[in-house]
Amino acid sequence: MLLLQYIVSGVATGCFLILATIGFSLTRHVEGFLNIAHAQLLGVSAFSTWWINVVLGWPLIPSAIIGIFCAALIGLVIGRVVYEPIRSAGPAILLISSVGVAHILGGLIDTAIGTGIRTLNIDIATSYRFWGIRITDHQLLVVALAVIASASLSLFLAKSRTGLAIRAMAVNPSLAASRGVDVKRTSRATWLLSSSLAGLAGVVLAIIATLSTEIAFEQILQILAVAILAGLGSLFTVIWSGLIIGIAMDASVFWIPAGYRPLIAFGVVIIVLVFRPDGLSGRRSS
Amino acid sequence: MTIALKAETKKYQRFFKTMGFCLGIFAMTLVSTMILPMRSAHAEKQVTVGVLVPLTGELGEFGTVVARSIELGVKQINTAGGTTCGKIRLVTRDTHGNPERGIREATKMIESEGAVAVIGPESGVMVALVDLAKRKKTVIMSPYAGTITLNKLGGDFVYRTVSSDLGDGDASGMWLTEKGYKKVAFLVQNEESTISPAQVAKKIVEKSGMKLTDFVIFNPGQPSYQAELISVLAHNPDAIYLAGGQQSGVTVIKEATSGGFAGEWLFTADLAVPEVFDNVGAEHINGRAYVEFADADRSLPEFKAFEKLYREEEGKEPGPFASNSFDMINLVALAIEASGQCSGSGINSAIRDVADGGSVVTTFAEGKAALAKGMNINFEGASGPLKFDKSGGVSGAYSIQAAKNGKWANEKFYPASVFKN
Repeated sequence: MLLLQYIVSGVATGCFLILATIGFSLTRHVEGFLNIAHAQLLGVSAFSTWWINVVLGWPLIPSAIIGIFCAALIGLVIGRVVYEPIRSAGPAILLISSVGVAHILGGLIDTAIGTGIRTLNIDIATSYRFWGIRITDHQLLVVALAVIASASLSLFLAKSRTGLAIRAMAVNPSLAASRGVDVKRTSRATWLLSSSLAGLAGVVLAIIATLSTEIAFEQILQILAVAILAGLGSLFTVIWSGLIIGIAMDASVFWIPAGYRPLIAFGVVIIVLVFRPDGLSGRRSS
Repeated sequence: MTIALKAETKKYQRFFKTMGFCLGIFAMTLVSTMILPMRSAHAEKQVTVGVLVPLTGELGEFGTVVARSIELGVKQINTAGGTTCGKIRLVTRDTHGNPERGIREATKMIESEGAVAVIGPESGVMVALVDLAKRKKTVIMSPYAGTITLNKLGGDFVYRTVSSDLGDGDASGMWLTEKGYKKVAFLVQNEESTISPAQVAKKIVEKSGMKLTDFVIFNPGQPSYQAELISVLAHNPDAIYLAGGQQSGVTVIKEATSGGFAGEWLFTADLAVPEVFDNVGAEHINGRAYVEFADADRSLPEFKAFEKLYREEEGKEPGPFASNSFDMINLVALAIEASGQCSGSGINSAIRDVADGGSVVTTFAEGKAALAKGMNINFEGASGPLKFDKSGGVSGAYSIQAAKNGKWANEKFYPASVFKN
């Protein structure tokens, strides 16, 4: 029964990782590089939500919507001003630039927020028990948001014109451009979408965690672990990767000390990559 | 003819204008080279001390208190006429809680600003600075770095006005034993500064016959600690000893409370801040949470004098480690005065002497006057006696405070005399 409790906790952890990683993976597919600054967008959204909720005294939902909007806008501006002009320089230059952007965003958050810890003006989580297994309303919310965000993104990519253009660019940008896809417009739509998803993850972070100015960036290693495990496949490989890493990390506490929890994430990644060098998707980068 | 004359006149005018301009520049240069040395000769002599503290991030609240207390000390020292090397000039930098950044800033302070001492770093940064301090012969000192790593590395150029973390462990263990709990769980952040005291407290708890249900080491920076809490909550302990930072600690407290934990808490020093009540919700910890931290003996007249000064200047009670920080700058100033040298080596050679073995002085002004008379002095600070041991640390006292009405209130005081470490 105790092991089952760890697995349930792992599902919630995995769902948070899915939310934090789907936007990151989308950028990786379409723009072709690892955007390290993605984690700081979680912070932008989390602290915007906190500021509107606690300082201005607004209810959580409108605060969260504005928080997501702030992350989306800042992500779009960064994509337009920083990454778009150097897009042709290649993934290594873009990756290094994204580290610089992460530091700038981190510094701005530090300056704006200052010292100490912050929490939203919401009630402490309520626990429910189902057949002896405990789950909180915050964990249920994380799971629900992960399901809704994944399903909505999947539908958007499959059904909408912009979604199809994004998928075409992810597979082969040159071919997509030659077939009439507006590369700049599609790239900007990708930044807007991935930053909004980072914003949603930031709101979840603000709900479940205690905010310090470092906490958002501290999630980058696990985001990378999930993205690498997923490889360059579909959205569903990201979902599977998030769940595998989340459950592996939490269930490992049943057998080994919790201090080794982060190592488990990378242990899983290494084991999977030994057998499937291109991640769960099995697709190579073009 | 007239035109030729006019042209010639213009040439001469231009020549004299240019010559005049050049002479003007020359004269200004001459005057300024004469005046500047005169001005610097009249400028006050100063000695620079670096204040290297975490001003941002999770430990920012502590760093701000430390920096402000040092400024209060400097104000008093400079009002008393400053040191033999002149008035103290502070250069303050932020460590961001990052040892690498700490080394960079300390190097700049020493090499560019000429700092003779760098004071205020937290445990991780202090350990990282040991090599630099010894190489550059510059004193480093901390008011809150309790890490036991410094028990081996400290002593020469490396000092602290707080006792080792082992004392924290003793005090926590004593408190848990006195409370008479039957079952206790330990939740400890994965850092040397929290694990060391927790190990000491664990030994005391086990020796007392109490049942230790869990000893969980968790990593900071996680959004949630539900997995770490599963086993702890399943064993239903009477109390949880929580040694964590503010960010992780508050999340643990909230998640344990929502998970049905109804027992008591003992927190360590990082949670001895009022922000815990705002972020957890006072109603969840009032009457059932305690916090243990290194503290000054508040009954001492030196502490009362400092408390009065702090209230007057800051309009509030001294925060954690404020008195230790105030003492730190006084010790540096007295060591400069005693050695008569404006260097880290001078401070290092005299700092132990001014803290032990002479006439008791309680302020810089008293110490300066006594030293001028050729007397040996023993500086007794606001945080208590400051006799440095072999590793450059002091023996300290500890307080337990209880969560009452949304505030931390004094519950128990353990004087330095009750500890072996």
